[in-house]
Amino acid sequence: MNISLNLNGTATDWEVAPGQTLLQALRASGAFSVKLGCETGDCGSCTVLLDGQPVNSCVVPAARVNGSRVTTLEGLLGDDLMIRLQTELVEQGAVQCGYCIPGMLISLYALLKQGPPIDEETIRHALTGNLCRCTGYVKPVEAARAVAAVLEETS
Amino acid sequence: MKVVGKNVIKIDAFKLARGEPVFTDDFTRQGMLYAKVLRSPHPHARILNVDAAAALKLDGVVDVIWHRDVKAIPHTRAGQSYPEPSPYDTLILSPKARFIGDRVAVVVAESVAQAIAALDHIVVDYEELPALTDMDQSLTNSEILIHEEPDPRGISEAGMTNIAARIDKQVGDVEAALKECDLVVTRDYHLPRVQASHIEPHISIAWVDEDDRLIVRTSTQVPFHLRRMLARILEIPEARIRVIKPRVGGGFGDKQELVVEDLVGVLALRTGRPVRLEFTREEEFVAARYRHPQRVTMTTGVMKDGTIVANRMYVLADTGAYGSHALTVQGNTGQKVLPMYPVANIHFKMDCVYTNNPISGAFRGYGAPQGCFALECHMDEVARELGMDRLELRKKNHIKLGDTDPLSAKLGEGKEGLVRVVKSTGLEKAIELGCEAIGWGNKREPSAAHLKRGLGMALAMQGSGIAGVDWGGATVKLNDDGSVNLSVGATDIGQGSDTVLAQMCAEELGIPYEKVIILSSDTDLTPFDVGAYASSTTYISGGAVVKAAAEVRGQLAGVLGSHWECEPEDIVFSDGMVTGPGDQSMTIAEVALFALYKAMIQPMATASHMSNDSPPPFAAQFAEVEVDTETGQVHLCRFVSAVDCGTVIHPKMVEGQIEGAVAQGMGYALFEEVLLDRTGRVLTPDFLDYKIASSLDVPEMVTILVPTDEPTGPYGAKAAGEVPIDGPAPAIVNAICDAVGVRMFRIPATAERVWRGLKEETR
Amino acid sequence: MWKLQEYRIATNPAEAVALMRKGPGKGAYIAGGTDMLLEHPACDFVVDINRAGIGDVARTPGGDLFLGAAATLQELVGNEFVTGFAGGAVSMAASQCGNRPVRSTATVGGNLCNALPSADMAPVLLALDATCYIADEDYQESLPLTDFFVGPRLTVLEDRLLVGVALPGECAGWRCASHKLTRTAEDISLVQVAVALGVDDGRIQEARIALGAVAPVPMRASLAETMLTGQEIAAITPDVMGDVAAIAAGECDPLDDHRASAEYRRDMVSVLTRRLVTRILSDDGDNSQDGAA
Ligand SMILES: Cc1cc2nc3c(=O)[nH]c(=O)nc-3n(C[C@H](O)[C@H](O)[C@H](O)COP(=O)(O)OP(=O)(O)OC[C@H]3O[C@@H](n4cnc5c(N)ncnc54)[C@H](O)[C@@H]3O)c2cc1C
Ligand code: FES
Ligand code: FES
Repeated sequence: MNISLNLNGTATDWEVAPGQTLLQALRASGAFSVKLGCETGDCGSCTVLLDGQPVNSCVVPAARVNGSRVTTLEGLLGDDLMIRLQTELVEQGAVQCGYCIPGMLISLYALLKQGPPIDEETIRHALTGNLCRCTGYVKPVEAARAVAAVLEETS
Repeated sequence: MKVVGKNVIKIDAFKLARGEPVFTDDFTRQGMLYAKVLRSPHPHARILNVDAAAALKLDGVVDVIWHRDVKAIPHTRAGQSYPEPSPYDTLILSPKARFIGDRVAVVVAESVAQAIAALDHIVVDYEELPALTDMDQSLTNSEILIHEEPDPRGISEAGMTNIAARIDKQVGDVEAALKECDLVVTRDYHLPRVQASHIEPHISIAWVDEDDRLIVRTSTQVPFHLRRMLARILEIPEARIRVIKPRVGGGFGDKQELVVEDLVGVLALRTGRPVRLEFTREEEFVAARYRHPQRVTMTTGVMKDGTIVANRMYVLADTGAYGSHALTVQGNTGQKVLPMYPVANIHFKMDCVYTNNPISGAFRGYGAPQGCFALECHMDEVARELGMDRLELRKKNHIKLGDTDPLSAKLGEGKEGLVRVVKSTGLEKAIELGCEAIGWGNKREPSAAHLKRGLGMALAMQGSGIAGVDWGGATVKLNDDGSVNLSVGATDIGQGSDTVLAQMCAEELGIPYEKVIILSSDTDLTPFDVGAYASSTTYISGGAVVKAAAEVRGQLAGVLGSHWECEPEDIVFSDGMVTGPGDQSMTIAEVALFALYKAMIQPMATASHMSNDSPPPFAAQFAEVEVDTETGQVHLCRFVSAVDCGTVIHPKMVEGQIEGAVAQGMGYALFEEVLLDRTGRVLTPDFLDYKIASSLDVPEMVTILVPTDEPTGPYGAKAAGEVPIDGPAPAIVNAICDAVGVRMFRIPATAERVWRGLKEETR
Repeated sequence: MWKLQEYRIATNPAEAVALMRKGPGKGAYIAGGTDMLLEHPACDFVVDINRAGIGDVARTPGGDLFLGAAATLQELVGNEFVTGFAGGAVSMAASQCGNRPVRSTATVGGNLCNALPSADMAPVLLALDATCYIADEDYQESLPLTDFFVGPRLTVLEDRLLVGVALPGECAGWRCASHKLTRTAEDISLVQVAVALGVDDGRIQEARIALGAVAPVPMRASLAETMLTGQEIAAITPDVMGDVAAIAAGECDPLDDHRASAEYRRDMVSVLTRRLVTRILSDDGDNSQDGAA
């Protein structure tokens, strides 16, 4: 079936199978930042924004996003907040294998977009859908806190 | 030092954080085919016939292969140095299925969906056989033989029993010594089957290129072993194989194994088209590898004053259907752990048996987490029976500077080893700092009446590579602008070895870190390395990098020495500048231009490094828990790791290794367990039921680095990747016991198990 | 991959039911799809109800709280009507269901219609006397949530649509709390207990105790409720509380599975019931907090 969506700011038409997931459709369209880790909604390596909300794209039917706005990391590479987050994660040493990182960035971005106040607790809750087997979450959380602190100061 | 010891930006971090297409699967080739494996529904069955006629008629299905289609060449899938110490008990496709999930046939189709659809149309004729899924039964039952091959290599008692590997080594005389002891304590400890759960699944893509060579792009820890093993089982020369390792989304040992590469290789050669095979998460749980489940029996003899006189460890382990790493993982359970208390009498014995369960293999720590759990819980038990302080007991007996590892000579990597003497240790300091950080000795008040708090600790040691076995090469080449190409076989799987090696290279050449361009692991382009395992990369591969860089520096000094008419030794390389004893000075770029265009030499060197030593990194780890006495739930409040890994090359990355290990170790202690039913079927094949720690589960972590200077290591470095995963489970379980007086002899210490323990206690 | 022939999108409830009945072949409703994409139920087509106008959360003039079936769990977490009802107990329960990204699309209706014994929204809604609204092509029907669940994975719906659930205005002031017992922070329930008490004049006027994951369907512990109803708060001694908890535990019918034994689950019903009731009673004002932590 044919669907139209706004993918990373660009009007896009996709031919999708009724049973296809958004994850499959995104990777097929070349959005390789969206990773496959479990296909059961648990790991979050496939997290993207659907109309601004973080979703695990492996448990979203592709057909559903007809008429919606879908944002992947590729679509946020020029965004100031995203760049700040990426830089902080990199500098804090939060990137190990990096497989979980695009999904984590999307979840953190969605959280920080809401604006302050954002404390460690809210950050940890926002990351419940993003499993990371490398870092123990210490440095990713530290990095997000640092960005949240900057936002707080400048807001 | 200018670069070593600094928190430089991890060399691949920005591209990863931008989500660039750098992993195996972020890549397509024209005409790619997709493979899917048909897996056995039976734990033990002969595969009499496979009828794929109906499947082959389906849309998009290109080929179906089964055991008749591939030559039977026994091999091991364990990615180890040649000759592999693991038994050759595996075929690409076997006429016998040995566990639920074993390979039966493989489909390739134009799409994943078509390949999956085809699986339902393959008709297999099985002859079911009685199965063994209990390791005690496997040990005694020789009526049912899981491996009865006529010509196995390396199976301990081939064709007679189900024992895949066994070890029985002793120093001193434990039996005699125990008779002289004031107290002898014996306990059994039970270790679960757990899974590495790297977030990127196993995936490989293979194709035959225009030169008729097989190119394998794969998520692996061992590209060079893989090439050698593939050449043998695919019966093509190594020269016709190229293994490319892109970025890898975690491995933790699970990718030190040939799990998918042989199939894409066979199928690419057969079809002439690119073939991709990716595991689903369920396949990860069924057909990848586990940490070996074990039962460890510890016997310790002590004197009243707390002097340990004898230690005996007996290990019974389940290797599952195949013997990947059977000998060496279990060897490590004793070898890496028992030397913590280097007493005169040590007896280590193990039996590793085949069962019709899924396959065990390598997983971070490689046997040591099991042994460390048993030993460190046992130390608490011994202290309790003695009425002695558990910290004092450890302090009195643990290994110290200058001590000889008593087991090292008797137990190497599946054979006799090399004598190991401790030349650097920060263990005392680690204990001191760790105690301080956790508040040892003053338990905090619980936050409610039904809660109880406890503190626990554990000591751990590991190795830095395998002495006399592990080695790696590095090539350093200087370019016109003073940048350097560093090529290494060492395999970055996310742990950051590329960064650490680039730091060492920059340090040695006195150039900025940013000038190093690293290429890791492409069998066509980089020198050999055994790969990413046994905590070897910093220590071993780092040694090769330092040598190669030093040689390039020597070449440059030689050229400049004649130009400047000075002794090459008097030339200093630092901060991107090269200065002579007079007022001569050039930037490294000017030196490069001079070398390339005046002296006309390519400053370049390849070096190899091996070590007859495997210096132990040490860890002292501490847990604070709160136990709910009514539900049995354990809340891990705080966890302190104090780790001596020699000179710290990159502090943040070492901390990251430790923090990640604590999260994994916490899972081992409290909730991770792959459950099987009686037929060996996995009951927990997804993250819904196999829980790994999330951002809300991990405790407050305190990570303390205790630097030492290891004389045999590059810049004094030792390893850091594995040692921190050993201590969390015993420290946590010791803390539970401290809180509620219940000793959990079986982990994970789930709420229900603790609840049961509490009920038995009050009974 | 899920073998599905067609993805239909409904724009109102009646159309949804009609599309469902149109054939050919077997159909199913799909909301968030967070259950369906894991389970891949055998069907030829699905009817997407996310745009059928049943995703709203509202307070009716009579004070009832209406939760549209297609309202997402994340909506329930943050919506002011929900956070302001019965101490925010429904928001709290929603916030513990699934992980953050899943809650963006998972719906309350999907949670109930999937009808797992462990459906995490069921206990708190049962405890707050929820009524279900069900649409057919040409009529709507309502029935208590207690009658909605027929068996594991089975509801009264057949091919009808759940439009939403309503919580009666009387419950808005009840003190309500639930606790989900899990292996890790983000997990399926091993046991869930929700308690709601209508307290007036130092006396428990109304008592509801609902249990999840301990019977073929989410259930109410009515014997234990009866014991509490009418009791003076001052008269509820630890002994009485112990009896109530034991009775609740006696009412459930848990299974042994790889997640927990029946014995453990039963004992946890007792522990959690006691803790929740005690906590609610000893608490005045904000009772939205997770009761047993
Ligand atoms: C990672 C993950 C974690 C999860 N954690 C939890 C958890 O902690 N607790 C929990 O309870 N669940 C959990 N779930 C399950 C699931 O997310 C919830 O049950 C969710 O609320 C289902 O809603 P949905 O809209 O996605 O349902 P869908 O998948 O769209 O539908 C589920 C079922 O309900 C039917 N249906 C949906 N809406 C209607 C309607 N209006 N009328 C009639 N039938 C309808 C569908 O036909 C289908 O049979 C989890 C799922 C995932 C992927
Ligand atoms: S791949 Fe989507 S959550 Fe894991
Ligand atoms: S960095 Fe490897 S999974 Fe998170």
